[in-house]
Amino acid sequence: MTTSMTTFLTPPSVATTRVNFAGPVLNARNLSLGFDDTAVLAGVDLALYPREFVAVVGASGVGKSTLLRALTGLLAPQTGEVDIPAGQDAGTRAWSMVFQAPRLFPWRRVRTNVELGLEGLGLSRVERRERAMQPLKLVGLDAYAERWPHTLSGGQQQRVGIARALAVRPKVLFMDEPFASLDAITRRRLQQELIALRQRTEAAIVFVTHDIEEAVLLADRVMILGNQETGQPARVVETLSVNLSLDERRDLPDFAPLVQRVEAIIGNH
Amino acid sequence: MSPTMTRSRRSLMSAAGLVAFVLLWELALRSGLLSGSLVPLPSSIPQVFWYELIDGIWLDVVRSSLGHYSVGLLLGSSLGITVGVAAALLPRFDALHAWLARLLRPIPPLAWIPFAIIWFGINPSAAAFIISIGVFWINYFASYSAVHSIDPGFDEVAQAFGQRRFLSRLTKVNLPAAAPGILGGLRAGLGQGWMTVVAAELFGIPGIGQRMMEASSLLATDIVVVYMLTIAGLYALFDFLFMMMQRRLLRWQP
Repeated sequence: MTTSMTTFLTPPSVATTRVNFAGPVLNARNLSLGFDDTAVLAGVDLALYPREFVAVVGASGVGKSTLLRALTGLLAPQTGEVDIPAGQDAGTRAWSMVFQAPRLFPWRRVRTNVELGLEGLGLSRVERRERAMQPLKLVGLDAYAERWPHTLSGGQQQRVGIARALAVRPKVLFMDEPFASLDAITRRRLQQELIALRQRTEAAIVFVTHDIEEAVLLADRVMILGNQETGQPARVVETLSVNLSLDERRDLPDFAPLVQRVEAIIGNH
Repeated sequence: MSPTMTRSRRSLMSAAGLVAFVLLWELALRSGLLSGSLVPLPSSIPQVFWYELIDGIWLDVVRSSLGHYSVGLLLGSSLGITVGVAAALLPRFDALHAWLARLLRPIPPLAWIPFAIIWFGINPSAAAFIISIGVFWINYFASYSAVHSIDPGFDEVAQAFGQRRFLSRLTKVNLPAAAPGILGGLRAGLGQGWMTVVAAELFGIPGIGQRMMEASSLLATDIVVVYMLTIAGLYALFDFLFMMMQRRLLRWQP
């Protein structure tokens, strides 16, 4: 797993808190959820460890985004519970989210959009500004801090969305098909940036995508959602570990077979 | 009209149209085609205006009308926006007042004159009250639909980033997101207010409306026209100032 390698790369003071014995940063047990008598999810379990990257894949409409919202509490599950231990550090939030559309507030400048999650955490205006500029620098958009969102391209806006999510230094970062609405070239570039970004953030990531190749490219684990037939609630069909190095993973001989295996599992459900 | 007409050319033509209208009016009177008892001579208006000004009448009536106008506008706008936003955000309140609003909505502001007089007497408060009614409804509906049509995705963003309290969401999402619609309502109310000013003063409250009634009873149509133009001018000024503010507040829009 990449986790041990990246732990090695980070400063010792941080690394000591990051060893996986620390226990899960997210623990969901037996999650079920439905709308208007229609069950969407049934009995989903997920334990997520620090710095881990789990991709959730499945056919479109199977309930991937719903699962993400149940994990965050944006939607209340009908059964089961989710435990995201709150951060000990002041000025942080337990989790944050990157959406499919950037969903920046058009009435705020880029920087104040990134500051959104920092508001109400007891930070001063100056501290908020500094905390917003760090992730903006990380995604290469610090020069655009005082721009209005509509002056940025789609890919740039999505980068700001990622910066906004990182600014709160979350324990868990939820990403809901964040690259799905981007063109192929931008998508590839942002995928590479996300791989690089993982070295520099402590967050564990839950990444929803319908792109199987993307899931295998980025994740440590791929969780496959499926249902026996339409109308049935979705369950976790299988969870596969991706034991491949993140460097040039796409070119590794084991990459394509793994993608095909995930495709086959989805096809059977 | 050709779509390629430049802005300056368009303005030039608009000005030419206005000048031609006034010129035709003047000529029609001078040639005897129109009787002088029906409409005043346009060229006499500046002088009449000057007399009204040096007598101090113009400033007096404009000042008191502006008083009614601004109080009515402030009252109607703030209440309209508050109730409209609240109705859009609070389903229970929305349900509770929906039929009442439907019942009261079609009643024209001037139909409230009897109550205005009973409640306030013949004084500036009565005029301000009548003005505020028309302004209220415009702002109420504009704010209601502006808040209603906010992309629910913004609300989810606010919740995902810890802004879950009603007041945080109101100030960070609902009001800024609805600002274009709310400001549009305010601007429409600015015009609606002037429309009711004159009528609200017809029953004896000092102001532009009362002065116009006085003049018309003496068949002094030139004075009536002076105040018609005064209202047009004041509206244009207020609308311009508001537009500048609106543009500044909404500078984030593409």
